[in-house]
Amino acid sequence: MSVGALTKKILQAALFYEIWDAMKVTFRHMFHRPITFQYPREQRAIPDTHRGALGLLRYDDGRERCVGCDLCEAACPSHCIKVISEEDKERPLQRYASEFYIDVTKCVFCGYCVEACPVNALAMTKMYEYSTHDKRTLLFDKKRLYDIGERHLDDAKKYLYAHNQEQNVEASREYRYYFPQSVQKSTQPPPKHLS
Amino acid sequence: MGLKPATNPDVEAATIELSIDGKTVTAKDGVSLYDVISSTGKIIPAMCYHYTFDPFGSCGMCLVMQEGKKAPVRSCTAKAAAGMIIRTEGDDLFQARKKAVEKHLSVHPLDCPVCDADGHCELQDMAFHHGVTNLPNAKQKFIPEDTRSPVLDFNMNRCIACAECINVCKDVLMIDALQFMKKGGFNQVVPKGDVALDCEFCGDCLAVCPVGAITNKFSKYLYKPWQMKKTTTTCNYCGDGCQLYVETKDTEVVRVTSPLSWKNKWGDRAETSKGHGGICVRGRFGFEYIDGRTRLTQPLVRKDGQLAATSWLETMHHVVDRFAAVKQQYGAGAIAGLITARCTNEELYLFQKLMRSVFGSNAVDSSARYGHLNFVHASRHAVGIGRTPNDWEDFTKAKAVLLIGSNITETNPLTAVRVKEAIRVYKAQVVTLDSAVTNMAKLASHPFLIKPGTEGLVIDGLVKATLAQDLVDEEAVKKHPKAFEALKAAVAGVSLEQLAAQTGLAVGSFKEIAAIFAEAPRSIILCAEGIVRRADGYQNVLKLIDLAWITGKLGKPGCGVNTLTEEPNEQGAVDMGVAPEFLPGQARFDDAAARERFAKAWDAPLPAAGTSAHLMDILTRCRNGQIKALYVIGENPLATLPVSLNVKAALEQLELLVVQDPFLTDTGRLAHVVLPACTYAEKDGTFTNLEGRVLRVRQAMDPIGESLPDWHIMTSLANGMGANWEYQSANDIQAEIMKLLPGYYNLGQPRKVTPAPDQYLSNGYSAEVGARYRAAQANRDGRRPLALVMGQVLMHSGKMSTEASGLITIAPNTGKLRMNAKDMETLGLQEGTKVRLSSDQGSLEIGVQADLSVAPGACFFPEHFNEPPVKDLMAVAVDTTTGVPSFKQTWVSIEKV
Repeated sequence: MSVGALTKKILQAALFYEIWDAMKVTFRHMFHRPITFQYPREQRAIPDTHRGALGLLRYDDGRERCVGCDLCEAACPSHCIKVISEEDKERPLQRYASEFYIDVTKCVFCGYCVEACPVNALAMTKMYEYSTHDKRTLLFDKKRLYDIGERHLDDAKKYLYAHNQEQNVEASREYRYYFPQSVQKSTQPPPKHLS
Repeated sequence: MGLKPATNPDVEAATIELSIDGKTVTAKDGVSLYDVISSTGKIIPAMCYHYTFDPFGSCGMCLVMQEGKKAPVRSCTAKAAAGMIIRTEGDDLFQARKKAVEKHLSVHPLDCPVCDADGHCELQDMAFHHGVTNLPNAKQKFIPEDTRSPVLDFNMNRCIACAECINVCKDVLMIDALQFMKKGGFNQVVPKGDVALDCEFCGDCLAVCPVGAITNKFSKYLYKPWQMKKTTTTCNYCGDGCQLYVETKDTEVVRVTSPLSWKNKWGDRAETSKGHGGICVRGRFGFEYIDGRTRLTQPLVRKDGQLAATSWLETMHHVVDRFAAVKQQYGAGAIAGLITARCTNEELYLFQKLMRSVFGSNAVDSSARYGHLNFVHASRHAVGIGRTPNDWEDFTKAKAVLLIGSNITETNPLTAVRVKEAIRVYKAQVVTLDSAVTNMAKLASHPFLIKPGTEGLVIDGLVKATLAQDLVDEEAVKKHPKAFEALKAAVAGVSLEQLAAQTGLAVGSFKEIAAIFAEAPRSIILCAEGIVRRADGYQNVLKLIDLAWITGKLGKPGCGVNTLTEEPNEQGAVDMGVAPEFLPGQARFDDAAARERFAKAWDAPLPAAGTSAHLMDILTRCRNGQIKALYVIGENPLATLPVSLNVKAALEQLELLVVQDPFLTDTGRLAHVVLPACTYAEKDGTFTNLEGRVLRVRQAMDPIGESLPDWHIMTSLANGMGANWEYQSANDIQAEIMKLLPGYYNLGQPRKVTPAPDQYLSNGYSAEVGARYRAAQANRDGRRPLALVMGQVLMHSGKMSTEASGLITIAPNTGKLRMNAKDMETLGLQEGTKVRLSSDQGSLEIGVQADLSVAPGACFFPEHFNEPPVKDLMAVAVDTTTGVPSFKQTWVSIEKV
């Protein structure tokens, strides 16, 4: 080892060079904007296309959009949806889902169900905070899904717009099904957008 | 084949040659071009075609190019001709077919997601296959939905006017309840006359509808095809043994579908003689009892006079202890058993094995005793076979069908379709002899109305007319001259004029019927409830066999004397030996060799032949205290038999009454223990239908509640009683039956049986026949002018169907006596008037209703209902030879109250 190199080594040892060298990164970050996000005190802005919890939507007049067609169940790759449909007792000849379950523990958030829905009754929201101590509460039933849809209605609509599934409120009316009336009842005129 | 079969038993069609896609194909002359193409294995799409009826040609999909023609031709309506050069593939044809799909889609609502046919829709498939994505001129119809019928909804927005529903109804079922009607600018399918649909509700229109235009009200909007599990099984309503698909979702039955469907539209029309694949109203819409709310879900044990739910283990201990105590105290003869013929063969076999080898009693009987055994005994006695000699194919291809005492369209609707096909396709002459205006009589070439209760006399007359006109087959009678002389002597006293006065059938008619029957090359006799369930049923079947013998129809192919069974497995009950006189395989119970064989197989001695008791004996012995314990599976003697038999008192005498049933029946309410059993949809096994075909019953769903299959309960009962039975499933029992009765499981292809009358004709016949044609009955006294008949209606079967809410919606218990309108007028009665109905057995008050199917001088009440208890007016006559009780007809008087 040459004298120069030895001197440098001793000097570095006396001045704790390695420590200062290592602390360089630390000091540089002291003057940097913090990268760590203070979740949950801080919330991140989420893009409209985000695939969060699923919710069921209603039309503006409060009617359920879902017609119980079961296409979401057919499209679901992880078999987490179960739809039980029947004829609406109050409005004969109309089909609706009497029960609707999504097992979120199985859901892979692929969004296929939303794509499959012919009436845009399903949408994904920006809601992702629903961790729980009891796994059983993660089987969302119809009421819970409509609650989610109601609470996150704006997000759900934004999701549908962002995925190019629904343009605006007026256009969404066209998805509504026209169910024929019974011959036993007086005939109603066909809806405006279809005539 | 869509067109009527060119070849029938009498005519062989010529063979022609034509070229399809460059290949030379041979075909029968006169068949449709479409059939020729499909028989080569090429499938051309066709939405209005179904092989069971003639081509209609409305959908415009089955286009092919024929050389020499500019435009494509519809292959279904074109007849194949010699030398045709046909092209079935090519872009031009694809485009032409695509145009046809677009035409249909342009007026079809795109409501697939809410349509019940979604995923099972031919239009959907066609649009997919032809890549239809854009419709330039779509238009909506806005037709209101026809929901007037209790069973089917017609959504004519979805109709593509293929007319499959109309054609199947008119051509195959000959009911003709639907029609096209121009309404609101569109051609729509409406019930005849545009009123609420009121037909037999077989639902075959629903099955063949390729779109969702006709929907089933009982399962509307409840399903999508991909959600359901489909199980092929056998119907358990009547003896036809139709195959059906039970479609289930978890633990509920959603719907029942038939093999007949637009999905299997390719077939050979000649094959429909073995059944067209359809089912009837009971099979298709009577499924709701399976998961109904009235099902028993837990064992019930009587405690302090009340039936209380108890655990299986406790219940079985109790049952075993009680049976053991009765056996020890009173001996094996104090235990008896009754089982319904709605159980599977395996269960019936196990039941008689349990009774005979474990309990050691031969007091065992099944519901075949109510009538079918009359036929079995007569047929065994005379010709040595214990079942019907003919199958559906023989019925279809018969040239003459003699239907006597059978309302076949009501009791066995699918066998009726075979007779209808005989009329329509094979041009058979059908003679109906019944005391009611039956639906078959409306289609028959020779319908005759006879006076109630005179079926036996009519047969006398037919035999006499055959002899009088010398229609006798010389070859048949030559072999047994002595027997023939005896028959002639026996009939000598019969006078046709006298019979004509008694039966209401003209002398000329007797002669005409006898001529039709004797002269046809293939003649079938079908006798059912009007013969076998009435007094003298045994003798009347023997007389029919006489008629077949002297006309030379006995043993000739396609001829024979047949019966119909009301319950699915009556034939199986007899074959499995659930009768005191039979061991399995219809071996006689007192046959030493058979006894030894079964005793060895079961490793237990058989009870002595003297301890036998059939249903009537069992009830008598219950009454006089000889029988102390009764094990009843699925039977309900209290609700079936008239009150004059004192069934209630007999059952109350018992120290132990165990009832095993899916429902809490009237008999069950009296029981000490009620065990919940499964219905046919929850267990495996086999049924033997009226043709002798052994058909599989497959488990479609898990048992409801804690109910168990009957064989399971019987096995644990036997093991509790000290037997060592190791059956793990119905298959194990099947394996044992296979060993004991080789060849019984015939995979739906029963061995042809040939009647062997020689033994009987040369030995016992002459001595017996004299008593058979007795002098005509004494005149009845005039106080009771009307005949009261109890019988089956189409929508119901036994008491079980009354648990099916769908069938009750279609045909509720009106609680009214059905009468001919003319009789009502002469008696001064209006619809609903209360009358006092009196017989020698008692009287009751009941409303009346007019019914077109009831003949003058008769009144009718369905046997399925006991509210009001009309059955209690019946007298019971027990056949001395067969022990069959008959209690379906009596004489009554009616007074207005």
